[in-house]
Amino acid sequence: MGVQKDVVKFNVGGRIFQTTATTLANAGRDSFFGALFDDNWDLQQPPNNRQEFFIDRNPDCFAVLLDLLRTGDLYIPSNVPERLLYREAMFYGLIDHVRSAKWGPFDGNRLKLSRSVTGRAPGDGTAIRAGPVGGCCVAHGSMVHVFDWMLEEHPPINLDYQRVNDIGWVNSEHVLISACERIGKGDGGMGLFSSSTGDLRYKFNVVHDNQIKSYTAGALSFSPDYKIFASCKGRSNEYGIGVWDQVTGKQMDFFYESPGWSLGDADKLQWLNESNCLLVATLFPRKDNCYISLLDFREKRMVWSWSDIGAPFTVDEKRVRDAIAMEECNSVCVVNEYDDLGFIDLRINGGSVRWSSRSRLLKGKMPDEPCYPKLALHNGQLFSSMNDSISVFCGPDWVLTSRLRRCYGGSICDFSIGGDRLFALHSEENVFDVWETPPPPVI
Amino acid sequence: MSNQKKRIFQIEAFQNRVVVDPKYAEKTWKILEHAIHEIYNHNASGLSFEELYRNAYNMVLHKFGEKLYSGLVTTMTAHLKEISKSIEAAQGNLFLEELNRKWNDHNKALQMIRDILMYMDRTYIPDTHKTPVHELGLNLWRDNIIHSGKIQSRLLSTLLELVHRERTGEVIDRGLMRNIVKMLMDLGSSIYQEDFEKPFLEVSAEFYRGESQKFIECYDCGDSLKKAEIRLNEEIERVTHYLDAKSEGKITNVVEKEMIANHMMRLVHMENSGLVNMLLNDKHGDLGRMYNLFRRVPNGLAMIRDVMTSHLRETGKQLVTDAESLKDPVEYVQRLLDEKEKYDGIISLAFSNDKTFQNALNSSFEYFINLNSRSPEFISLFVDDKLRKGLKGVSEGDVEIILDKVMMIFRYLQEKDVFEKYYKQHLAKRLLSLIVKLKTACGYQYTSKLEGMFTDMKTSQDTMQGFCSSHPELTDGPTLVVQVLTTGSWPTQPSITCHLPFEMSALCEKFRSYYLGTHTDIKAIFGKGQKHELNVSTYQMCVLMLFNNADRLCYKEIEQGTAIPASDLKRCLQSMACVKGKNVLRKEPMSKDIGEDDSFFVNEKFASKFYKVKVGTVVAQKESEPEKQETRQRVEEDRKPQIEAAIVRIMKSRKVLDHNNIIAEVTKQLQSRFLANPTEIKKRIESLIEREFLERDNSDRKMYRYLA
Repeated sequence: MGVQKDVVKFNVGGRIFQTTATTLANAGRDSFFGALFDDNWDLQQPPNNRQEFFIDRNPDCFAVLLDLLRTGDLYIPSNVPERLLYREAMFYGLIDHVRSAKWGPFDGNRLKLSRSVTGRAPGDGTAIRAGPVGGCCVAHGSMVHVFDWMLEEHPPINLDYQRVNDIGWVNSEHVLISACERIGKGDGGMGLFSSSTGDLRYKFNVVHDNQIKSYTAGALSFSPDYKIFASCKGRSNEYGIGVWDQVTGKQMDFFYESPGWSLGDADKLQWLNESNCLLVATLFPRKDNCYISLLDFREKRMVWSWSDIGAPFTVDEKRVRDAIAMEECNSVCVVNEYDDLGFIDLRINGGSVRWSSRSRLLKGKMPDEPCYPKLALHNGQLFSSMNDSISVFCGPDWVLTSRLRRCYGGSICDFSIGGDRLFALHSEENVFDVWETPPPPVI
Repeated sequence: MSNQKKRIFQIEAFQNRVVVDPKYAEKTWKILEHAIHEIYNHNASGLSFEELYRNAYNMVLHKFGEKLYSGLVTTMTAHLKEISKSIEAAQGNLFLEELNRKWNDHNKALQMIRDILMYMDRTYIPDTHKTPVHELGLNLWRDNIIHSGKIQSRLLSTLLELVHRERTGEVIDRGLMRNIVKMLMDLGSSIYQEDFEKPFLEVSAEFYRGESQKFIECYDCGDSLKKAEIRLNEEIERVTHYLDAKSEGKITNVVEKEMIANHMMRLVHMENSGLVNMLLNDKHGDLGRMYNLFRRVPNGLAMIRDVMTSHLRETGKQLVTDAESLKDPVEYVQRLLDEKEKYDGIISLAFSNDKTFQNALNSSFEYFINLNSRSPEFISLFVDDKLRKGLKGVSEGDVEIILDKVMMIFRYLQEKDVFEKYYKQHLAKRLLSLIVKLKTACGYQYTSKLEGMFTDMKTSQDTMQGFCSSHPELTDGPTLVVQVLTTGSWPTQPSITCHLPFEMSALCEKFRSYYLGTHTDIKAIFGKGQKHELNVSTYQMCVLMLFNNADRLCYKEIEQGTAIPASDLKRCLQSMACVKGKNVLRKEPMSKDIGEDDSFFVNEKFASKFYKVKVGTVVAQKESEPEKQETRQRVEEDRKPQIEAAIVRIMKSRKVLDHNNIIAEVTKQLQSRFLANPTEIKKRIESLIEREFLERDNSDRKMYRYLA
């Protein structure tokens, strides 16, 4: 065997490492190593006829990162704090490599609790939203706390210190906040913030009859064609769903609610890409009755609706507490406070709820401070939060396949899936959990 | 006490962290600034990448990002100002080369600077929403070099000058040109468009405006188009060599507008070389070129199409109304076919089978073929001629091809039923002549049955006509159609006798007595003492009877004596005097046609080996004027029930409809067979109203209502 020509010797903080140019090429051009070995720098040979390149950095972290470049696998020894490793990865421009090696592709049935992050916010949590690349933001009262994927906290955000109703990630750089209005001041409404610095970038206006009006923004949703949807309540009964362009920030449309129906108070908006419609759900107890409808903005028409107005209440009073549309199954899945799942057919207007009572065993041990159940759908898996645990349902008949539970923190008031992670926000202790799928097994 | 101590400690810790070294930032920046100088001076080999990267990292980490960034802007700007001076100083042709060299240097330096400042680019710049290093480098180049007063206009004029020199045939350095244009594109599409593309298009428009004026004055249409095509291809080639691909549409637009669109009229109508001339001389190359060039400009093709259509209609009209060509139907149709073939060739070879041109061709043919009402007859005659000739010499395939072509022309006929009438007659004649030929080849027995079948059909038709006219009272009752068939000639079918209803049997009885009354076998005795039994038609019988009392009769006398309609009488006399083997009469003068002054006498020399002789009736060759009228009338007569059926069909589904819509729908339904005459449709409607199929609306007289 001949002498390997691409062997490279490093002296990192006094420790000698040997590797190959091929291994280092895995770092990509847009990294310290990519630049170091670029032709421009003419540095294929160590300068001054020394035997090695000197790098004034931490050798322990270099070892971990070199191993990552060699194998694609991230192994952090117990003596290396994560934060230190992340900082070193930032120096070399390898942070994206670390992130993508840290956890595997999302699977609801293989989730492991990765971290619990304690916050300092007073009062109950309002909402938690997973970002596109593993970060999250948490709303408590009038404050929103933003965390990157390393769970490093960024400067908190508020919109005129008004109570936050909903939050959402427009992209990995920007967070949208919907808040209550402050009467007569034009405060509140909806604002776009930088997720890294917390600066307010843009405030969205609502225009009625060519006049800018102050408003309370509620539930949010986004469509892939760069639109923002928000339920809105104005001063003079201007209730409905506003639509804005994410690029220009201009209001594009407003769907006014008709008498006897509810849109502006919605608990949940969900954009349905297949049918090009927006699901709007206003639920008990925000209103005395539940209203679920599908809006088609092209025709300015409510194409499907369901309500429990006038429905007889049975003894165990099954009220719908959350709803999510499942386009592949042509149905809307709903949940009541006993964690019973129900389904409404989307192909029939005015159909009834088909309840499946699977989870009766939970009954009878209600916690002191119950939280309303929430639903989420991800890659064909259905998630439902109830008290202090989250149930995972799979398959065509939505069989219960896993349950995620942690001992402390109290009931889960909200959870969110994104960036291959699941974030669960507890209501009693100010804490949220991060659940990840471990990287694929070695063999 | 302890509380206070704690606070002091905190303050110290705070101070320790920030004040690393008061001159730290300045020192570090100096190192980096020096490195940037060295990079621009091609002196980077002495630099340590690791050290520079670490220093830049540390500045950002220690919150000196702003200093680092603004320092970068200042240093880079200073270098670009120097570069700008050296480019300005470059003389003549060296200008572009110097610009290109400096641009390459700057790009390389920018890449290296970006490598050093990678950490700032990743963290500090996104957080503060500043321009990333690479983009910053391009912006500074744009502002300090490309937009510097002394370079901007010189660059533009140099580029335009090079393009002009290339257009006038000089060889230029395309590689250099490509690099400079690429630089403009790298600086952003708006720079390319504003600083080069827009003026380039303007100058090009001016250039081609002048050139096309020269072409159109000096060259004929074909050559002008050739020049335009060459120029167009040159510009397309230029784009692929050194311009942005997006410019192709824009520059070709300029050439098209200046060289074609602006001179379209003049090119098309150019004397002795324009479109009509090309069509006349089948200049497929020029026509194809014109098509391809005109296709590129608005209304270009419409113009070619319109000129072609009007030329075609004009020549076609001349063709169908030319007295010379009317003399010979075969020649007439042949010329139509030739014209069609010529234009089919032009459209497929030069106009790339353009559907709109095909439609224009079809509509033109439809227009002029129907200008001559004899077209259906002539086409039928042509087919007849070809089919007869087809038997000798021409292969079956060739006949098929000719027939296909004729079918193309046939489709243009509006009065397809007229063609049908003529064609029937010609077919009948052809069948007969075939039978005659078969007879000569194989003898009488071979064909007697075929012949019998044919004459049966013919005589039955005549008989029925005669029967109907002799019994005018029968029109109200059931209509009778009888085919009198010769036993033995037809494939036998078992005949079943049954009792007919009274009306029918009475009618049949009437017919029987009529038939027996007219058809009498005549026993005639000729001079040689030969006896023959002649089987003749009623008319022929009448004529022959006259000769019982006279030896010689002139035409007029016969006409008076029999009162047979002239056309029938002529055919009748022709069949008895001019057909070989059946000529029981002789006529003077001897000729094939019957004239008004002819005289007739019994053919004393008549001879036949048969005792019974059947004398047929000849079928007219080309129709004489009154016969034509008659065919015409028959056609009209046949159309009536078809029009009525169409009206009833339409009204049955629509219930109520106004007059104009009925006319339109009837015309549409029948157009595959013939073009219905609106007045005739109106008459039919009147007739239907009379017979209470329809009624007029009481309030609106234009509306008709269907009566179920």
